Amino acid sequence: MSSVLRYEALILTVPELTADEASRLESQFEQTLTQHKANPISFERWGKYHLAYPVRNNDYGVYFLSRFEVTNKDGLQTLLNDLHTLFAVKNTELVMRHVICRLDANASLSYNRPDSLEEAPARDVDTFLKENKMTGIGGRGDRFRSGRDGRRRDDDQYEEAAIMEEVDQDQEEA
Amino acid sequence: MARKAKLKVSTRLLRKKARRSSFSTGKQCRFCSSDAQEATLDYKNGSMLRGFITERCKILPSRISGNCARHQRALATEIKKARIMALLPFTSSHTL
Repeated sequence: MSSVLRYEALILTVPELTADEASRLESQFEQTLTQHKANPISFERWGKYHLAYPVRNNDYGVYFLSRFEVTNKDGLQTLLNDLHTLFAVKNTELVMRHVICRLDANASLSYNRPDSLEEAPARDVDTFLKENKMTGIGGRGDRFRSGRDGRRRDDDQYEEAAIMEEVDQDQEEA
Repeated sequence: MARKAKLKVSTRLLRKKARRSSFSTGKQCRFCSSDAQEATLDYKNGSMLRGFITERCKILPSRISGNCARHQRALATEIKKARIMALLPFTSSHTL
């Protein structure tokens, strides 16, 4: 049985997190680990996500996943307490939620996660309308929109209405 | 000579008997099938966990999902962790 314990911490931060604040959070995290003789394995930025429910009135959030291993089991509880203090007290304005979990000794470090908003391909308006079978301004839906009387106009009625509007404009100009 | 009274068997019982004697296999725990499937049982894998909650966002019972007791317990724990981290909703009607 290996004496190394692996842990991971998933951190949810506010969506307005700047690069400086992210690097400061990472350096503070690594500093806490080195103080307790733990080895950082990775610190990944997942990206910006739409949250399942609003947290602190934020619909979006940025996730960070960090992993570390602990060899010194004597100071383990102190390390975990310090990490909770770092996330929940010292950086309470930046970190909205965090969770620290122990990984299985023989488990692989690969994992599945949903695509973030930054990774998702950017969609323009035309693609969105086509996917949802919608039409934009001047399209079929706009042309066949209901009139003032609530009835739908067909092609002929639409053309007649357009001609009548032109005639009215000409008369006004004259 | 007294005739034997024939007991009337209800249709529901007949259907139940037929269902039990049929050759259809029961539900299988998908996480028991392979180690690769078991490795996907993780709180970070929100898209997979979404398949085990109802439209009201309640945890699906094992009699419907077919999970074994061990994996149902693990699944419930992972769903609860994912809810805390806002990867899964607690309810379908979250408001600000």
